[in-house]
Amino acid sequence: MYIALTALLPLLGGALMPVIGLKTERARDIYTEAVTVLASIGVFAVLLFAPAKELTLFKLNQNFACVFRMDGMGRLFALLVAALWPFASLYAFEYMRHAERTGNFFAFYTIAYGVTLLIACAGNLFTLYIFYECLTVVTLPLVEHEWNKEAFRAGRAYLMYLIGGATLGFAAMIITSCASGGAAFTPGGAVPGGADAGLMRLAFVLAFMGFGAKAALFPLCGWLPKASVAPTPVTALLHAVAVVNAGVFSVARCAGYVFGFELAQGTWAQCVPMALSAFTVLYGAVRAVREIHLKRRLAWSTVSNLSYMLFALSLLTKDGFAAGITHMVFHSLMKIVLFFCAGAIMVKTGKKDIHEMRGLAKRMPFTLAAFAVAGLALTGVPPLAGFTSKYLIITAALQRGGLWAVAGCVSLIISAVLTAVYIFTFLVPAFYAPETGGGEERADMGMPMKISTAAICLMLIAVSLLSGDAVRLIRGL
Amino acid sequence: MIYALILWPLMVSLAVKLAGKQHKTARDACVLAGCLVQTLLSAWTLWRAYNGEPVVSSLPGICGMTLTFRADGFRSLYVFVASFMWLETALLSRQYFAHYHNRTRYYFFNLLTLCGVTGMFLADDLFTAFIFFEIMSMASYPWVAHEETPEAMRAAATYLGVAVLGGMVTLMGMLLLYRQTGSLAYEALGGAPHSLKVYTAGGLILFGFFAKAGAFPLHIWLPKAHPVAPAPASALLSGMLTKAGVLGILAVSFGIFRGSYVYGCILLFIALVTMLLGAVLGVFSGNLKRTLACSSMSQIGYILTGVAAAVLLKDEGALPAAGAVTHMLNHSVLKLLLFMTAGAVYMNAHTLDLNRLRGYGRKKPFLHACWLLGALGLAGVPGFNGYASKTMIHEGLVEWVNESGSFAFRLCEWVFLFAAGLTAAYMLKTYICLFWQKNPDETLSQKYDSEGRGYLSVRSRIALAVSALPIPALGLWPDRFLGRAARMSLPFLGLEGFHGIELFSLENLKGGLITLTIGTLVYLLFVRKKLYKTPEGYLDRWPAKLDLEESLYRPLFCRLLPDMLYAVCAFLAPLGDCAAKAFARALQAAAGFIEGLGDLAARAGAALLALASRLLDGVTDGLVLIVKESAFVDHASDMRGEDAGGADMRLRKIGLRHQRRLSRLRPHVRPDPREVTDLRYGSYFTNTVTFGLIVCTLGIVFAFVYVFLRMEM
Repeated sequence: MYIALTALLPLLGGALMPVIGLKTERARDIYTEAVTVLASIGVFAVLLFAPAKELTLFKLNQNFACVFRMDGMGRLFALLVAALWPFASLYAFEYMRHAERTGNFFAFYTIAYGVTLLIACAGNLFTLYIFYECLTVVTLPLVEHEWNKEAFRAGRAYLMYLIGGATLGFAAMIITSCASGGAAFTPGGAVPGGADAGLMRLAFVLAFMGFGAKAALFPLCGWLPKASVAPTPVTALLHAVAVVNAGVFSVARCAGYVFGFELAQGTWAQCVPMALSAFTVLYGAVRAVREIHLKRRLAWSTVSNLSYMLFALSLLTKDGFAAGITHMVFHSLMKIVLFFCAGAIMVKTGKKDIHEMRGLAKRMPFTLAAFAVAGLALTGVPPLAGFTSKYLIITAALQRGGLWAVAGCVSLIISAVLTAVYIFTFLVPAFYAPETGGGEERADMGMPMKISTAAICLMLIAVSLLSGDAVRLIRGL
Repeated sequence: MIYALILWPLMVSLAVKLAGKQHKTARDACVLAGCLVQTLLSAWTLWRAYNGEPVVSSLPGICGMTLTFRADGFRSLYVFVASFMWLETALLSRQYFAHYHNRTRYYFFNLLTLCGVTGMFLADDLFTAFIFFEIMSMASYPWVAHEETPEAMRAAATYLGVAVLGGMVTLMGMLLLYRQTGSLAYEALGGAPHSLKVYTAGGLILFGFFAKAGAFPLHIWLPKAHPVAPAPASALLSGMLTKAGVLGILAVSFGIFRGSYVYGCILLFIALVTMLLGAVLGVFSGNLKRTLACSSMSQIGYILTGVAAAVLLKDEGALPAAGAVTHMLNHSVLKLLLFMTAGAVYMNAHTLDLNRLRGYGRKKPFLHACWLLGALGLAGVPGFNGYASKTMIHEGLVEWVNESGSFAFRLCEWVFLFAAGLTAAYMLKTYICLFWQKNPDETLSQKYDSEGRGYLSVRSRIALAVSALPIPALGLWPDRFLGRAARMSLPFLGLEGFHGIELFSLENLKGGLITLTIGTLVYLLFVRKKLYKTPEGYLDRWPAKLDLEESLYRPLFCRLLPDMLYAVCAFLAPLGDCAAKAFARALQAAAGFIEGLGDLAARAGAALLALASRLLDGVTDGLVLIVKESAFVDHASDMRGEDAGGADMRLRKIGLRHQRRLSRLRPHVRPDPREVTDLRYGSYFTNTVTFGLIVCTLGIVFAFVYVFLRMEM
């Protein structure tokens, strides 16, 4: 309940921003940062001190009510979002300094924070669905921010894929809410044993594919690379963390807290999600290898990595679940750093394609160093974070056994090799090749960008070193 | 103690990075002192292990698993050898890198690799070993790429590719094994059931270790990476990194595959092919360091032969196992000296081409002595260290051949002797070329002869001399040194009963003599007759088509496989778009159907909306009049025009102030205007919010970690 109140701060703060009339960019920056930091502090305080309390906002009938309640999963997601958002805003101030319509941008950017928090504390599937859709709508202006043809096209694809996917989720939401009397999230599943198992399995697959659209599950994965035309703060925070993780989070909610593990275990309803996500893992990696646009390459890599999580969730075991959530946390930290660096390269040098970025490390040492840390983590070089979570996923899959799980492991391993390929084919020339065409002058990040990138790098290294504790905590969810 | 051994290089590497370019002397001193302390630490660990009190420790919670370490005889011995090698190469590096760029980068990754190597050798389970193995693989990449020439980059790419692929396959094998046995500790490997699944897992694990050790057919990186890396790095690559691969092979061979006949035969085959191929490539090679690299490959073949013989002999395999372990040690020492001597040649002559190097070492007695010692040791001349270990491996092989009695295994012994002969031949080739032949180019010849004593600094001389010392020492008192090393190491392999052999008996001396005879004959009849022509010098007669990398791996992994995968993906890509579009169409159709019904309502609604918006417009206009610049969105452009101009003025003022301050601090330095533009934004923030931001940043980072750990899930 208290989290929902905290979420009002960015919601109102963002909505009021155009109205209260901030005269200079600086005033607006300070206002935005103040709102986000205060909200984050509020979230931290609530997570630590506030008692768990339920809030029913409104009630349509006994099956559909808007309820907010916190539990372990929600806390984790809220914590992740609260830790990253202030830095992403800080990064955005410098990034957007020469952009148009920044007033709109920051307003929606801040509102999205509130909506994401509400997703985190949703207490049943109906509430989750509402704010899931809200997030799509709120972030649409951010995707279309450039107001050019490409951006509008990306925006249309964004809507088409996500609303289309959500309709599948909608069907699943209606079915389960009616079957279980509200589909309140309960560990072990809310669907009663007496429900029609065939229908429920169908609903599970629909929910997986529908909410999976936001997590870029094949075949609904095309929007994510297209949406990388958006300004980098959006791609970094929303399309690597908030929006896509909201997709993974919703799938996790469905799998673990609505349907339960036993319902689909070992049936066709498990095979379809497993096969799709195992394939997407490979598909994203292959597309990333061939992509020459840096941000799009990272977006394809996100597609691949999100399916690591979906694959782990689709194992429908406790270990798999914990492994998937672990990867969600770790991947967010890695990918946001990678996007920050990619954005800094774009905005400081105007270069977009990888082959133009040879020898860039001499001009942007900090940026490339941060990229290297996060890139190595993503590749899964021990002892950095990515290794741990991938290791856990594969262990969980082998533990479960079965044809599809083993096939998934193979595709995970191949995709890990491909990850090394698409990261190193950028990193190595950037560090070692002589620079091709371009100035001599230093073009590194400015102070705000540096602070935010360094802070998230620190978090990444901290969770890498503490990964034992992290994994134990997540297992306890 | 163990943490100190692992963390110390890490700390020194960070110190080196911080000292960086500004304080070169401090940085070099830091490297040397760091290596020295590491050597002392490891010597102490070795002493404790020798007295039977090995250091053991475990660290739960890293990477979601528990890291375990154990510094018993073999492992502490090898950690000691590693730190000794790092110390020696650090001594040489000062002179070798005098004219190089990016030395800080080299030292940083050098020490990081030491950290990886130490951890890898001290690990007590496969998981820990793998983690440090990967750190080592990644951290050694900058060695190979250091020169940044196209060849170096290509070799480095191969190195990285093999390392990544090997690492992933090993990881897969480990996971499979873990599922079968439930533990990855070295001790538990022996208890694994002998089933096909466990063998598959073992094979996958071995893949990565074979790749690192440079065994056929994964040797492709080795002959390319060693020549292009700087000499101190090649010494470590050849002397230590390949041994890390061998360590893994030892653990798996004597753990999972203990006593497996089929595995023994396969390993023996791989070992002999590696040995022979390396030696043949070495004889053909016309490049000084490439010869040494090929020789490394061949010597790894010897070590693996010893391992194979020990596996085949089951519980009586102590002798060949001791041979393998001591040959590891000997090879590390030999390659350290040889590569560093080659480095001494390269840093003066700036070439590795044998034809241009002809006669380089005439009138350089110190260099002559170093290379000769290395060559004698490597060729297995009695009285030097290589002879002892090779004889032990040979004896073990003969034992197995006699036991099995089949002709095929008799053939193996001949291959072994022939390859040993080739070793003598290529060392003879380089030795005669460097120190006895005359260079046909008069100017070069004069230049080489006139170098005097200045070609090596005192530090480098010390490094070479100290590295050369063990070669006769280990060879002349084999029981005192090598025997002890073997007895310390065998418990790691789970073998016992090594009593040493009569190295200088007639039978064994005869074996040594045969190899030397073969070597001399090959040199005289093949190298001098076929590979050497009087005016041109040494010829490159090795057919280029036989390069496994260029003709098979690169086309397969860089073109064929990605193309196929991509074709499949590109074929499937439109699927998502089609699905989404079809969905949208269906929605449209449905909407069209409903539209007819809802038309009236929609019109009424539209009229209402229009009315409402007109009302709202009026209100907004009023508001705008009252608060003139309140509508933020509309005034964005104004703001940029005027306010941004004002802000710009202020920024410029701050810039000027900064400039003045700078010139006051450093009156003789005129501030670079470019620098000032850079600082402009910095000072803008410095004066306002940077401090607050940094405090806030740290606060949020700590809060994140704290809440993460404290939160009750």
